[in-house]
Amino acid sequence: MYYYVYDEFIQDPKFERELSLVETRLTDLGISGKIARLALFRDAKTLIQDEIKKGAKTIVAVGNDLTLTKVIEAVADSGVAVAVIPIGSPNSNRMADILGVPAGVVACDVLSARIIEEIDAGDINGHRFLHSAIIEDAVAPMIVCNGNYKLMPTKRASIEIKNLTLPEPDVRAANPTDGRLEIVIRTQGRSWIGKKKVTVSVVPVELARITSPEIMKITIDGKSIEAREFKIRVIPNQLRVITGKGRKF
Amino acid sequence: MAKQTGAETIIALGVRVEGEFISSGDVVIEGEVTGTIQTSGDLRVGTDSKIRADVVAQNATVSGEIRGNIQVSGRLDLLESARMIGDVTANVLSVSPGAQVNGKITMDGRDVEVPEDQEADSE
Repeated sequence: MYYYVYDEFIQDPKFERELSLVETRLTDLGISGKIARLALFRDAKTLIQDEIKKGAKTIVAVGNDLTLTKVIEAVADSGVAVAVIPIGSPNSNRMADILGVPAGVVACDVLSARIIEEIDAGDINGHRFLHSAIIEDAVAPMIVCNGNYKLMPTKRASIEIKNLTLPEPDVRAANPTDGRLEIVIRTQGRSWIGKKKVTVSVVPVELARITSPEIMKITIDGKSIEAREFKIRVIPNQLRVITGKGRKF
Repeated sequence: MAKQTGAETIIALGVRVEGEFISSGDVVIEGEVTGTIQTSGDLRVGTDSKIRADVVAQNATVSGEIRGNIQVSGRLDLLESARMIGDVTANVLSVSPGAQVNGKITMDGRDVEVPEDQEADSE
């Protein structure tokens, strides 16, 4: 049984035609199901968890990365499959791209093919994530890794925790099936000719704790929280995600 | 911007590590480490790095400073700017001109054997 979670933004008239095509294609493929429309005061987590209790086996986020994040948070340890039908700009659908799910109506065929991959989830202070989390400007942070050693940037640093990301010029892709998260620390210094120079440290971890004397803001798959301490862990093979043939991990 | 090295773990300049640093892949260290370093992969210690730790690795290339014992089961390359203060154990050792080694060197765990005729000559 499929349960479709429509994000609030796709109820905008400019997505009406695309949505209509998606619904027609889902009916043709015989995988249409119940629809929930998110709104300002409708809690996605409660809606989805109620539907899982009623027997939903696949929860489909219809929207963007933020929609998928809401679904992942709600699904937690239930074991149901998660999928996405990306709607909107490619920049807001990075996760779907990595999962190999094309935007719009073509995604329905990926959904129908049901290629399910078990992938790791990240957890920061109880918030689940699929892609990454970032602290843009951490002052004197201390990162205790796997309970064995401490990492201490000697300058202001940005700290990123990656689970499922594409390669960057200075950092390799994060693999969501390796049972680890990648901590990426970027510090800024100056070269001997005074030019700005960013140094990049990369450390794979299963467990980490980031603390700072000042309150830090972390953005977890687009959602921000603030705290002085972040407890981070990987939950191996926790999510069952429907992927396309073009997946990038 | 730094380029990808292919190493699994990178400790760049501007980051200090304290404690038991254990890895199962290749490690590049450009920053500071205090404690112990242990990897079943290869280790590269950069020019500006300062390590105060006992080190165990499969192979290692050192350009920076290590204060502590290093044990390498394969090949150890001490490059020109390397400064080693501690005992070295390696199967294959390469020391570039300019590299400093202050410590005992043990290779393959065997004593150095002097050929018999050479012993006779010296008598």
